[in-house]
Amino acid sequence: MNLVWLSDPDYPARLKQIHDPPARLFVNGQLPSEPMIAIVGSRHATPYGRRTAQRLARDLSDAGVVVVSGLARGIDAAAHRGALEGRSPTVAVMATGLDRIYPPEHAELAQAIAASGAVITEAENGTLPLPGRFPVRNRIISGLSLGVVVVEAAQRSGALITARMAGEQGREVFCVPGSIENPLAVGGHQLIKDGAKLVQTVEDVLEEFADLARARARAQARVHAHTRARTRADSGPQEPELFAVWELLDWVEPRHHDELAVMMNLDVKEVSRRLTLLEMSGYIIGDCGAVTRCSPA
Amino acid sequence: MLARALSGTVFGLDGVRVEVEANIADGLPGFHIVGLGDRALQEARERVKIAINNSGFEFPGRKVTINLAPAQLPKEGSGFDLAMAAAIVNACQERGLPGDAAWLGELALDGTLRAVRGTLAIVAHLDRLGVRRFYVPSANVAEAKIATAATVVGVDHLRQLKAHWESGEPLEASSVAQSSSANPPAHVDLADIHGQPYAKRALEVAAAGAHHLLLVGPPGTGKTLLARALPGIMPPLNRRDAVEVTSIASCVGMLPAGAGLLEVPPFRAPHHSISPAALVGGGGAAPRPGEVTRAHRGVLFMDEITEFRRDALEALRQPLEEGRLAVARSRGHAVLPARFILVAASNPCPCGFAGDPRRLCECTPLERQRYRARLSGPIRDRIDLQVMVPRQAAGELLRTAPAAEPSATVRERVIGARARQRERRPQGPWNGALTGPQLRRDAPLDAQGQALLEAAAERLQLSGRAVHRVQRVARTIADLEGCSDIEQAPVAEALQYRESG
Repeated sequence: MNLVWLSDPDYPARLKQIHDPPARLFVNGQLPSEPMIAIVGSRHATPYGRRTAQRLARDLSDAGVVVVSGLARGIDAAAHRGALEGRSPTVAVMATGLDRIYPPEHAELAQAIAASGAVITEAENGTLPLPGRFPVRNRIISGLSLGVVVVEAAQRSGALITARMAGEQGREVFCVPGSIENPLAVGGHQLIKDGAKLVQTVEDVLEEFADLARARARAQARVHAHTRARTRADSGPQEPELFAVWELLDWVEPRHHDELAVMMNLDVKEVSRRLTLLEMSGYIIGDCGAVTRCSPA
Repeated sequence: MLARALSGTVFGLDGVRVEVEANIADGLPGFHIVGLGDRALQEARERVKIAINNSGFEFPGRKVTINLAPAQLPKEGSGFDLAMAAAIVNACQERGLPGDAAWLGELALDGTLRAVRGTLAIVAHLDRLGVRRFYVPSANVAEAKIATAATVVGVDHLRQLKAHWESGEPLEASSVAQSSSANPPAHVDLADIHGQPYAKRALEVAAAGAHHLLLVGPPGTGKTLLARALPGIMPPLNRRDAVEVTSIASCVGMLPAGAGLLEVPPFRAPHHSISPAALVGGGGAAPRPGEVTRAHRGVLFMDEITEFRRDALEALRQPLEEGRLAVARSRGHAVLPARFILVAASNPCPCGFAGDPRRLCECTPLERQRYRARLSGPIRDRIDLQVMVPRQAAGELLRTAPAAEPSATVRERVIGARARQRERRPQGPWNGALTGPQLRRDAPLDAQGQALLEAAAERLQLSGRAVHRVQRVARTIADLEGCSDIEQAPVAEALQYRESG
C-alpha cells in the first residue's frame, strides 16, 4: 500500500485541478499515467447494460485508455472486467478503506485490478461503506478522468451524481442510451437531453479528445471490424430456419420458448434446438429461459 | 396351560416373525405382556380382554402372561391383538394352534377386526418361512394375497372363530380379486394445463429418463400443476416395483383399506417446514421411512425448495446419489429404498421477477446469489433439467390455445424410451443416474453432436459435470426419438435445459 500526497509528483495531475482534491490517496497497485475515462452506472444493471459496459471498457482499454470506475456491482464491475480483458490497466476508486473491499464479493476483482492498475481511496483503513461516503468518492472518479460515460442510471442515482460532478469539474459527459421502457435508462436519457453526448461505439467517446488521436486511430480498426460484425448481426443468420426464429426476437425485450413455439406454430423441442444453434453463433443470448438478440462481441 | 400363535411386525420396511405365547396359570387374576412392547401394545391388555368377553368367549379369571418372542426385538403397534386373543382363548381350552398359521389384526372392543399396517411385508416374510394359512382382517386380504399364494382368511369378527376353534369347522378362504386398484388416484392430465409447452416437454424428458427437474418461475405460474402431471406420464409400475411400493405404503399406513396392488407411481409433496427426519427417515427409536421412501419409484415434489431447512436439503444427498438410505437409530438400523424423481420448484430470485419481461427484478446480485446458494452444489449437480416457467399474460390464458397433447400419448413415448434404456442396461440405472464412464458407453455422440457439445462447453463455460448433465438429457431425448446414436438435434435441445443465471 502506498500513500500519495497532493504535493507528490506522482499525484494524478488531472485530479489536482478540481476544487477539492483529496489531500492524500491510499493506493494499492500502481497509478497509471495514461489518460483515463470513467464508466459508471447502476448496480441493478440489465444484461444489456452490463454487456455494453464491458464491451466499451474493453475497446477503450485496447485503445490505450485507462478505465476508471467504482468497483460497485453491476455496471462498475462489468467495466472493470471489460478493461481487464483489454491491453491497458484499470483503476477502481473505493469509498471504503483499502482493507475493506466493498462489496465483499469483489475482493478477487480488486486483486486483479491492483495487479496491473490500481485500487485507490482517500479513506483510511477501517472506513466502513457508509452511504455518505459514496458521493464524495464519485468526485474522485470524475476528477481523474477526461470524461464520464454513464451506461445505465435510474433517476436520482449515484451515477448521475458522478455525471453532475464531471460537469462541474469541466469534464465531458457521455451516455449510452437504452430502451425508453427501461426505468434504468431514464436518468441517462435526461443527461442526453441536457447535452451529454450519445455513445454507440468507443469512437464516439475518443473523437471528443484531441489528446486521444492516437488511441482513436488504434480503436478505429476494431470499430470497423465491430461495425462489420454488427451489420452481420443486424441482418440476422443466413440459414432460413434460424432466421425465422431470430426474426421474432427483440434486441431488448426477452422472449420465452413458449411464446416462440406459439408464434411459429412449431414444436417446442424444435424451437429449443434452433435457439441453441443461434446462441452458439452469437446471435442471441439466453437469460433465465428467455432470449434476446445480441450483437457479437 | 400354554398356547402359541404366530404373528409378525415390521422393522424398517421388513417383516419380522413374532411368536405370541400365552400362559394361563393359577394365581392372582391378572394380565401381563412381556417382550419389549411399546405403549400401544401395553394397552392391548384392555382391548384384548374386552373383545374376548364381547365375542362369546370368557376371559380367564386367572393369571394370564403373554410373551412376545424374540424378546429382545422392540415391538410396536396393535397388530398382535388377534394373535393374543387366539393364544389366550385356546390356552384356556387347552388346545394347541397349528404351527403354520399366522394371525394379524387389531381388535375393537366389540370384537371386530381392524386393518393393520405392514400386512404385505409381514405376510411376505412369513410366507418365506413356510406359513401356509393367514388370518387377517378383511380389509387387508387383498394386500396379503399379493404376497402369498397360501390360504388367506379374512376375518371380520372374533366371534367367527369360535366354531372354527371349538369344533374345527373350516373357515372360508376369502375370494377377493388379486388386484383391486381399479380406481387409480386422479392425476392432472397434461391436456388440461394451458400452454407451457417448454415445461411440458421437460416433464416428458424427466419421465422418460428419470431425470430430476427444477422448475423456476414466479409464484402462480402453474409449477405445482405441472409437477402433479408427472406421475400420469410415467410408465405404470411393473409387478416387482408395484409390490415394493404397495408394501411401503402399507408399512407407513398410506394404503387405503381394501386396496390391492398400487400400479401408479406415488406422488409426495412435503411442505417446506418438514424436519430432516420426516423427509428422509428416522425419528423415534426405530428406523421410520420418510417422505423420500414414500416417494420411492414415484415423484417427490418440493415446492419452494429454497425455503426448506438447510439440514433437510442436505439430508437429500444420500438418497439422490444412491437411491436408498441407511438410517441408524438407537433400536437398530435399516436400509430404506428411495429412488424417486425429484421435481423442485423455486422462484427465480427473492422478489420473484427475474426474467419476467414485464417487471423489473430489484434484487441485488448478492441477494440472488445467496438465494441460489440455498440449493447447494451437490444437489444442483443431480438436477439434470432446469426450465423457466413464465407468467402467462391474462389474455393468453383466455385465448383458446392449440390443443395440448393428452398424458396418455406422451406416456406411450415415455414407455418406448424406457424400453430402449432397458435394452441397453437390463439391470442398470435409467439415463438420469448414469455416471461418466457409463455415459461414454451408452451415449455415443455423432460428429456433429460432439462438435456442438464441445463448442457449447467452451462458449457457455460448462463444467465437466454440466457436460455430463447435457449428455444424459441428450441420451434421453434420442431415446424418445428412437435413435441409438446421439445426433446434433438432441444435444441442441438438451442445452436449453441447462442451469442458467
